[in-house]
Amino acid sequence: MKSAVVYAVKKLLIFFAGIFVLSIIVFVMSRIAPGDPLVSYYGDRAEKMSASEKAAARERLGLDSSVYIQYIRWVGNAARGNFGISYKYRQDVSEVISRRLGNTLMLGGISFALVFILALLLGWFCARFEDRLPDRILCKTGTFVSCIPEFWLSLVLIFVFAVTLGVLPGGGAYDPGHSGDALNRLRHLVLPVAVLVMSHFWYYAYPVRNMLLEQTHADYVLTAKAKGMSSGAVMLKHCIPNIIPSYISFMAVSVPHILSGTYIVEAVFSYPGLGTLAYESARYGDYNLLMVICLLTGTAVILSNMTGQAIMEKINPAISAQKRGENL
Amino acid sequence: MSHRELFDAEAVSQTAPGSFAKKLADSGFPVLSAALLGIIVLLCMGAELIMTKDPSYMHLESIHQPPCREFIFGTDSMGRDIFSALWYGGRISVLIGVLSAVISALIAVLYGAAADVAPSGIDTAMMRLADILLSIPSLLAVLFLQAILGRADVLSLSFVIGVTSWPAIAKVVRSEVRRLQSCEYVIASRCMGGGFFHILKMHFLPNLLPTVMFMVVMNIRGAIVAESTLSFLGLGLPLDVISWGSMLSLAEKSLLASGWWAIVIPGVFLITLLMCITNIGNWLRKSFSAGENNV
Repeated sequence: MKSAVVYAVKKLLIFFAGIFVLSIIVFVMSRIAPGDPLVSYYGDRAEKMSASEKAAARERLGLDSSVYIQYIRWVGNAARGNFGISYKYRQDVSEVISRRLGNTLMLGGISFALVFILALLLGWFCARFEDRLPDRILCKTGTFVSCIPEFWLSLVLIFVFAVTLGVLPGGGAYDPGHSGDALNRLRHLVLPVAVLVMSHFWYYAYPVRNMLLEQTHADYVLTAKAKGMSSGAVMLKHCIPNIIPSYISFMAVSVPHILSGTYIVEAVFSYPGLGTLAYESARYGDYNLLMVICLLTGTAVILSNMTGQAIMEKINPAISAQKRGENL
Repeated sequence: MSHRELFDAEAVSQTAPGSFAKKLADSGFPVLSAALLGIIVLLCMGAELIMTKDPSYMHLESIHQPPCREFIFGTDSMGRDIFSALWYGGRISVLIGVLSAVISALIAVLYGAAADVAPSGIDTAMMRLADILLSIPSLLAVLFLQAILGRADVLSLSFVIGVTSWPAIAKVVRSEVRRLQSCEYVIASRCMGGGFFHILKMHFLPNLLPTVMFMVVMNIRGAIVAESTLSFLGLGLPLDVISWGSMLSLAEKSLLASGWWAIVIPGVFLITLLMCITNIGNWLRKSFSAGENNV
């Protein structure tokens, strides 16, 4: 019991250390990055301001002190739930983000779930037909589809389904005035989700196929077959349950992969989510907003990495033993 | 990993280096991909010889022409000849891919090997740092780095992509070195008094090279995708520097005018190139067994 507490505390410490380092890197980077926050806050008026007016404005916004003072002030405020105001939107950062977060979670979540299921099914299918025609065709198609850059796939899908056929909307999250209409939102999700699923499923299905093949070549499968079990039943009852933990940990580690895909797809479809927001705020030097988006992304990534690692350590004690330096 | 691949792995680690040519012939080398890749790269390098027009000249009288006899692949919404721009821009895309892959491989090998040699605390810290760097969206990293380097050009973009894409490789390098360290022949070598540099030279480098080679190839692919995506989003090369990405960044205008050729043709070339690189990369991985288990 005690060791479990130590383990949890250790993991928590690692987590917070990660967030801390990340916040420093992001903060310093965003302060050196280009773009004058005064321009994004006051718009064209900033250019007409006199030098003293500019200095006063900087002081009012807390932009005049040195970077580490600004950082300490920021952390102090953040601890109280105040992440500052977005210079561009002139609203609380948390407010701007909470309006978009749901959209990104919906897009990312649906795509992640679909990729998760589809990859497992396809990997299973391929392993079932190892090196025979269906497997070979799927392997080739999968490699081909995963070679198509997300932005280009988005373009082509928009061109075909939105511009030429006009059956699906080519951008945004909902039509004006339909923000509460679930069906309308769903229609807007079809193309972005399709792009995400198509450009990611093979990245996961191929490892599933290989992990399953490693299982089907193991001796226990031969034993089970010798005792009269059909190969389909062996697959379902033994092989798949055996690979599920490593598959889940693999998927957990891969969250940033899908997340960055989500951001690109959002930018192409001008889908109002965190990705579009990050892209805009980076261009306009909206530091406060950018920092929180990066921190949110980073937290999600660190959390998923740690989950993956914990699962790996659970199923393979050799890894944690290695960590402790017990190997030669 | 299938049994056949496992056997390959053993065969590779047992055979002496030097039978490369024989392995090449036996291991199902993707001839078609290599040939296509060679042709595309050669044509891009010799772009001046086959270009029919100046790729940056704007034929204002024939904006947005569909493919015809004069403009084989049509013109874009600025009136530039796509056929000529394709070869000219491909050169820059390939160059950025190779340059940034080399940069990231160099950093990754040094970092990964250093982490493994370092005491366990520093090793953990270094790998955690790599994780954290991985979690920063490359969008921000690219903007930041370009602010220091000034205007985006081929060199700065390669540097930026290279510098932001090493942590994943460094993690694999470290796990590979770690795996090698518990190999019996390494232990044997150490027991017989082999020093660190002896082991590095005799055992680590020959074993790391195939892994790194595979990843460098895959990183070329990643860098080409990154360049085109960034340029497409308007964060990479400006419009007047022709690359496949900046050609496609005009695509949104073509989209509205339903000019499919300005989207499809550069895209098809891009995907063909990526596909060839992927096939060669996969062949490298299979025949030199970098292994799937590095995830």
